[in-house]
Amino acid sequence: MEINFNINGKTAKVDVDPAMPLLWVVRDELNLKATKFGCGAALCGACTLHIDGEAYRSCSIPVSFAAGKKVTTLEGLSESEDKLHPIQQAWMEENVPQCGYCQPGFMMAAANLLEKNPNPTEEDIKNNITNICRCGTQPRIIKAIKRAAQLSQTVTA
Amino acid sequence: MATEDKKTKKKFSRRKFLQRGAIIFGGTVVAVIASKGPIRRFLAQKAENMDFPLLVSTQEPSFWFEVLPDNTILYKSTKLEMGQGIFTGLAMLAAEELEVALEQIKVVHANTANGVEDSLGTGGSNTTLSLFKPIREVAATLREMLKAQAAKQWGVPVAGIKVENGIMTSGNHKATYYEISTSTKEWKTPETPELKPSSAFKYVGKDVKRIDLKPKVTGKPIFGIDQTFPDMLYAVMLQSPYIGGKLKKLNTQEAAKVNGVVKIVEDGELVAVVAKNRYAAELGLQKIEAEWDVPKKWQQAEFEALTTVGLGTDVRIQSEGSPESLLEEAPNQVFKQEYRTPLATHAHMEPHGAVAHVEKDKATMYVGTQASTLFRSAIAKAIEAETEQLNIETTYAGGSFGRRIDSKHSEKVARIAKIVGKPVHIFNTRTQEFQNAIYRPQTHHVLAAKIGENGTIEAITHSQATPDQVLGAIPANIGYTLLGADFVSAGHGASILYNIEHKSATLWQNKLPVHTGIWRSVGMFPNTFAIESFINELAHKTGKDPLKMRLELLAGNEQINQRYKKVLETLAEKSGWNQPKAAGIGRGIAIGNDRKSIAAAVIEVAIVDNQIQVKKVTQVLDAGLAINPEGIRMQVEGATMMGITAALYEGLSIKDGQITATNFHEYPMAKLSDTPEIEVIILEGHTEPYGVGEPPLAPVAPAIAAAVFDLTGKNLRTLPLKLS
Ligand code: FES
Ligand code: FES
Repeated sequence: MEINFNINGKTAKVDVDPAMPLLWVVRDELNLKATKFGCGAALCGACTLHIDGEAYRSCSIPVSFAAGKKVTTLEGLSESEDKLHPIQQAWMEENVPQCGYCQPGFMMAAANLLEKNPNPTEEDIKNNITNICRCGTQPRIIKAIKRAAQLSQTVTA
Repeated sequence: MATEDKKTKKKFSRRKFLQRGAIIFGGTVVAVIASKGPIRRFLAQKAENMDFPLLVSTQEPSFWFEVLPDNTILYKSTKLEMGQGIFTGLAMLAAEELEVALEQIKVVHANTANGVEDSLGTGGSNTTLSLFKPIREVAATLREMLKAQAAKQWGVPVAGIKVENGIMTSGNHKATYYEISTSTKEWKTPETPELKPSSAFKYVGKDVKRIDLKPKVTGKPIFGIDQTFPDMLYAVMLQSPYIGGKLKKLNTQEAAKVNGVVKIVEDGELVAVVAKNRYAAELGLQKIEAEWDVPKKWQQAEFEALTTVGLGTDVRIQSEGSPESLLEEAPNQVFKQEYRTPLATHAHMEPHGAVAHVEKDKATMYVGTQASTLFRSAIAKAIEAETEQLNIETTYAGGSFGRRIDSKHSEKVARIAKIVGKPVHIFNTRTQEFQNAIYRPQTHHVLAAKIGENGTIEAITHSQATPDQVLGAIPANIGYTLLGADFVSAGHGASILYNIEHKSATLWQNKLPVHTGIWRSVGMFPNTFAIESFINELAHKTGKDPLKMRLELLAGNEQINQRYKKVLETLAEKSGWNQPKAAGIGRGIAIGNDRKSIAAAVIEVAIVDNQIQVKKVTQVLDAGLAINPEGIRMQVEGATMMGITAALYEGLSIKDGQITATNFHEYPMAKLSDTPEIEVIILEGHTEPYGVGEPPLAPVAPAIAAAVFDLTGKNLRTLPLKLS
């Protein structure tokens, strides 16, 4: 079945089983590899992306759900590589990633949190983001989200 | 990555690559080190000092630098970047002697076609230590060769040539490394130059951020799972959900009908669904009807009982004085406890897998592996190819923690690719990650001590029952012949480091019906949990402060005793050990000596809704020379979080012949909400770097257990720690 949606500002047309998880469509049909597979069951958050401004775990969302909607992956989070999103900027400044595999999912979850709550407390961050990182970057992720909140405010001010 | 031109590389004589450490100047191959040069000697020396089995001591590693047209240096690492930050550390070391800015060094994984020969693999926290000097020597040699060539061209003395950022100058003469590197094909091999003194270091000792931050923050396709070939198919393998299960009956009719499935591979035990996309492959797998011959349906209690002190082969690994007879003589003065740690797995976030393309006369694989050299021939054999025909392109790995030392999976992927005749992409499902893994062994420990009249510990014995960690992973079981029991890995940390006159450690090696292997910090993890918990209990029993007791038992005149003292005193000060605790807080301590590094932690916990919550962690680490303190802090934080998961949550159990965990909901891990305040203190003042990635992990669990005791009076002796 042909499904149309918007991906990172461009039109995507795919002809796939409508039940196929959006994760595999994004990764393998559209060749955008930042979105990661970790568990396939909405448990780890590695596959987090945005659909119409909401964060979703794309391993558990059928591609049909995205039809006609706006999908954003980490590749589309920033305007360009030289002008990173405040979340990515903060991630660089706090030197967050170790292996890096879980990080796209964390960044997408964090970017969405800041959209809704531009100035989250530590408790807000801890309660809202439930992704998994085995390398143990949690302390830096928390710091980076706080820093990104500050960066966003200086940008908009 | 996939488009690199392999043909030009093929033209070079492989033999040359194998025999010598070499440097490539714009395509010209130059042997820097005479065949039995200093590199090998240094590496062998380093390797001998490591608590890690040196499997093939006669092989020679090659280190590769290439000078690129933009005057940057390409460094081809034989070591896997799996999150530990090794690329950054190695670039810093190379930059020191090359006299270039750190930004001028690009690090990539070496592939086996250009001559990776690294018999050690990546692991055991040994990378920085084993390469600390060799890398700098090769870099310095390259610099001197380029300087000598410039001197010859310019007719000036070498000594007068200055180098900065890869640009050489002398009077009015000026040239880049690249210009000089392409100016001749005749190169002389100089004596290994003298290395810079540490006082002249530009990068070593400074906080440097990861050099691979940008690709990771922008989500570049750097992992094995991201690799593609044109026309590639996706597959998943059928794997037994039962321990020891053998395929009895198979019906793949329904699976073959799934839209998108192109082939069902059936080759003996090897069964895989090959499809146009991963979704179809997974659907196909679900439709396979398989019956399994299960020799025995294990239950948790009997499985756990397989690992028990007194069962199996015993090997004594420490014996001082006569502890056993002292304990026997005075049963009333003996204090004895038992500890257990569970079977667990690595749960690295990128599942195990590989991408393979097997053609008529060559094969290429993308895989994040800790040991491409070790397994290259085994994989080649699996597809009936010559070792030389197989090129393994090592990719960044999405975590490993010891798991990627194994390559069995890659052999199967290669076989499937050969059968299909097209490139295939095969990665485990998360359920397969839990049910078909190589496991951290379960362990059982019995500790006994004789307490003298005045409360001194007169004798101590430790018995550790453990399946092996490395023997099964070594091809053709040479491990057993070589080592007998696995004291290097599974038994690592089983010896008592405290100054107690009579002490012993015994390893009881048992086998399990599952494949057991190394897991970050290997035997240090269970052994430190058991020994340090026991020491904490002894401190309580004899009315001593656990930190002061350690200071006493580790006192002495050797350098190591001074290091223990400094670690413990710093820890006491920074953690506020002697200050009153807040209400509702318990505090505990543990220490370990892991491959020359000393790590100690004080941990504070609270109990919230009957759950243990780690509030504050103070870690002091003496890891010798700190090449990159920022990198070390990251590793300590990571080890602390992994330690919290291991202490509070993780463990596998078995029911009706199956590992019960099928996904993360049944194998919980620390989340952001589990993150305590972490303070890391790095002690310095040495000339050599020691291991960093593993040592800070081991003290976490026993320090948490001690903190829980401090708060509740309950001694928890089994991991994961559960209050009820
Ligand atoms: S892969 Fe989607 S939540 Fe884990
Ligand atoms: S950085 Fe490796 S899993 Fe998070």
